[in-house]
Amino acid sequence: MPLDYRRFNGPEDSIPYNYYTKEYLKSYHELHRELIDENGVRKDGRTLDEARSLCMFFARTDMISQAKGSAYIELKKTKVVCSVFDPREIMHQNEFSALGQLFCEVKFAPFSCPRQRRPHAPDAEEKALSVALRKALEPTVCRHLFPNYQLDIFVYILEHDGACLAAAINAAGLALADAAVPMYDIITACSLAVIGDQMFVDPTEAEENLAIMNPEKDGINNGLITMAVMPELRQISDFRQIGSMDVNCIMKATEVLQKECEKILPNIQQILVLNVVNSFEQQKQLEKEAKEREAALNAKMEEWKTLLNAG
Amino acid sequence: MAGLLLSPTEKIYILHGVQDDYRSDGRTNIDYRPMELETDVVSHASGSARLRLANTDILVGVKTEIDVPKPDNPGLGKIDFFVDCSANATPEFEGRGGEQLANNISNMLQRAYNSSQAFDLKQLCILEGKQCWKLYVDILILECGGNLCDAVSLAVKAALFNTRIPFVKAALMDGGSVDFQLSDDPYDCKLLEAGTAPLLVTLCKIGDKCVVDPSAEEESCSVISLIVGITGNPKYYSKDAIETPNFKCKCSTIGMNGPGSVAPETFKNAINQGIIAANSLDEALGRALLRERQECNNFKKNSYGFLK
Amino acid sequence: MAEVYKLIHPVKYFNDYINRNVRPDGRKFEDQRNIKLNVNAIKSTDASAVVKCGNTTVVCGIKLELAKPKAEEPDFGFLVTNVELLPLCSSKFRPGPPSDHAQVISNIVADIFANSKSVNLKDLCIVPDKLAWVVYCDMVCLDNDGSVVDACIMTLITSLKSLTLPKVNYDVETEEISVDTSIRTPLNINGLPVATSFAVYQQSPRSIVLIDPSAYEEEMCGGTGANLIICWNNGQFCGIQKFGGSNLSNEAEKKTLIIAKERSKLVEKVIETCLKNEIK
Repeated sequence: MPLDYRRFNGPEDSIPYNYYTKEYLKSYHELHRELIDENGVRKDGRTLDEARSLCMFFARTDMISQAKGSAYIELKKTKVVCSVFDPREIMHQNEFSALGQLFCEVKFAPFSCPRQRRPHAPDAEEKALSVALRKALEPTVCRHLFPNYQLDIFVYILEHDGACLAAAINAAGLALADAAVPMYDIITACSLAVIGDQMFVDPTEAEENLAIMNPEKDGINNGLITMAVMPELRQISDFRQIGSMDVNCIMKATEVLQKECEKILPNIQQILVLNVVNSFEQQKQLEKEAKEREAALNAKMEEWKTLLNAG
Repeated sequence: MAGLLLSPTEKIYILHGVQDDYRSDGRTNIDYRPMELETDVVSHASGSARLRLANTDILVGVKTEIDVPKPDNPGLGKIDFFVDCSANATPEFEGRGGEQLANNISNMLQRAYNSSQAFDLKQLCILEGKQCWKLYVDILILECGGNLCDAVSLAVKAALFNTRIPFVKAALMDGGSVDFQLSDDPYDCKLLEAGTAPLLVTLCKIGDKCVVDPSAEEESCSVISLIVGITGNPKYYSKDAIETPNFKCKCSTIGMNGPGSVAPETFKNAINQGIIAANSLDEALGRALLRERQECNNFKKNSYGFLK
Repeated sequence: MAEVYKLIHPVKYFNDYINRNVRPDGRKFEDQRNIKLNVNAIKSTDASAVVKCGNTTVVCGIKLELAKPKAEEPDFGFLVTNVELLPLCSSKFRPGPPSDHAQVISNIVADIFANSKSVNLKDLCIVPDKLAWVVYCDMVCLDNDGSVVDACIMTLITSLKSLTLPKVNYDVETEEISVDTSIRTPLNINGLPVATSFAVYQQSPRSIVLIDPSAYEEEMCGGTGANLIICWNNGQFCGIQKFGGSNLSNEAEKKTLIIAKERSKLVEKVIETCLKNEIK
């Protein structure tokens, strides 16, 4: 790879230190045993079908002062920031496009992954995630309202602990709503990792890693699914699966994911409603202050008038 | 598909046809258009295939190289896909226009071949942790007539089936260096096991039904398509067919393409439909490839394709 | 209404505020914004810190790696600092390789840090000529509302102060490396550099110095960033950088130095308190 002259570079052959630790060379079985205990409880205390959407979920808008709309979502350790900017004219375009375009970029922080340091230049995974995000958002944005314009959506993953595409889609949906971009529906997404007959809803990084590893036992189901849903319209806007699963497994996973996506909806709605209520109150406060000022000015005017008349 | 304009009535005509499982060109919803397949067309490649489906023309070459396996998977080989959209294929590919499409297709293939149940990378191992084969699958799109994903996956599978890897004996010498022994006979090769290699099926949603291999007219009626990668059944690809009764095709990847969305019920039906379509396609491909191999073994081919 | 005025007459809008001795966000000229600091928020790093100065948000994450030292400096380790100004932090930055402005900021931060000599690179060497630590410090700006350099230096030094190095065993004969993460030693940090940014606004009779400027103020003062950056390290003056053509009177310069010194004391206190709370 050519050297990046625009940044400071470390030595070329540096290796993460956890490469030399005892934990690094664990077999598939050991790793699998670690994920879940005899009672079916996962490492972070959740059951298999429990997502991080309830108590481990945090989201807010208005994260970034410079952006039109922004959102921050935290699923326990997974942390994602998203900002949306005003539509701008598409440059270097020959043809008129009747539908507005979405430009999505997903980027990992260099320090976001527990295993290795991420390069600054966009890699294949980031590009694939960007495409996936765009495809998930396209059906929900009313693109006919801004022809020949493009909407920039940037997602930054500060820490990756599984389900980062799902978190990115949720954050982008919230940021779009915060930026007052016309949308058909709120968009929510959820991930699921399959290892054998276990389905890990909303997986962590360790679970995801094992699910895409090739199992030692041949023929068992394994893989990863991320699904984005428009809950009110009951439409699937994006579905990505990797690994190998039979049909029954996929059908079951689709049902589970659909339910989970619907569960996230109230969380997002609550934030948006709260925003509206707050802005109304702010508006009221401003109007009240304006009235007071006006009253004070009027009073002064009257005073002068009387003075003038008297004089 | 620029320049193709359909009136609303024509679109409704197509839509109604699809609802009744009888399309405007007489096919059912899971029928493909006739295709031509030729293998072993590039003499310098280890394996190659050329496929023509309607107007889509694809050439695939497989190159082999010796490489060092990844430290995380010391016992596995590597496979890499590269798609090149020739600028002549369609006017839209001029300049950098085809790049995104090419990336999409190679990503899709990479994901579909990721699982060991789809393509076993262990067969590419020479010496665990030290040396392995790396397959470079170069896909050249000569002409684009729609339905690229399906055609590319078929051609890739045919090329992999056709790929020969020389027998290599490797021994570990003192000091960690590896010594290779290559047989003198250039025909001393093994064939790759590509029976389970996945086929991608694109299902184009029209109304609430899906069709495979859409024509340009049908494509313009649809806003979303589903791409399903289904692993193949090895029994179609070997002469001494060992019946494995419990063999079940698996999905190795699913993705969506296009700006639209799909209802969950339609989605489920589409996957089932994709599996049926992939199965029959797989069987036909297997039969064709076996016949070609047979002919090749029996007598020297004297018919030539367009590139040879 | 005010927003429209700001868009149509940006200079007049700004002047109206300055003439009334107040800044557009309601601060006085020598008021700085609130500082919020948090350490170890990101668990995938070896050390991390998040700082918010008003709206400006910078996250620093440190990742440790091992490498062979350079042949010409066999007993030195590596410390690599990079500032990333993301496209999401402001509409001024586009995706792709870093812009000139981003490179300048990255260089300023690296220079200030290297000049302060806070980390002795010899401490990062494990076995001379064989093995050394590479400390990758990536500072990421999530929200750029002015005075980025201050925030970068603050996160960098805070995360370095909370960094611990795991124990490395190196077998000289077999060249085998093993790392024991249960034993960790903190890195030795000397001093505590603190940078303070100012924007100098040239108004015909006087030039006004704004401390801790916001992005809008920086823009009005004609620069792509702050005009003046002053560094103090543990009560000692360690650097001053001035950009742009605006000039500064002697008294104003003295005043800025004093303000910067006061602020460095405050920032030191913030960092100490934050780290102390973390240890508890």
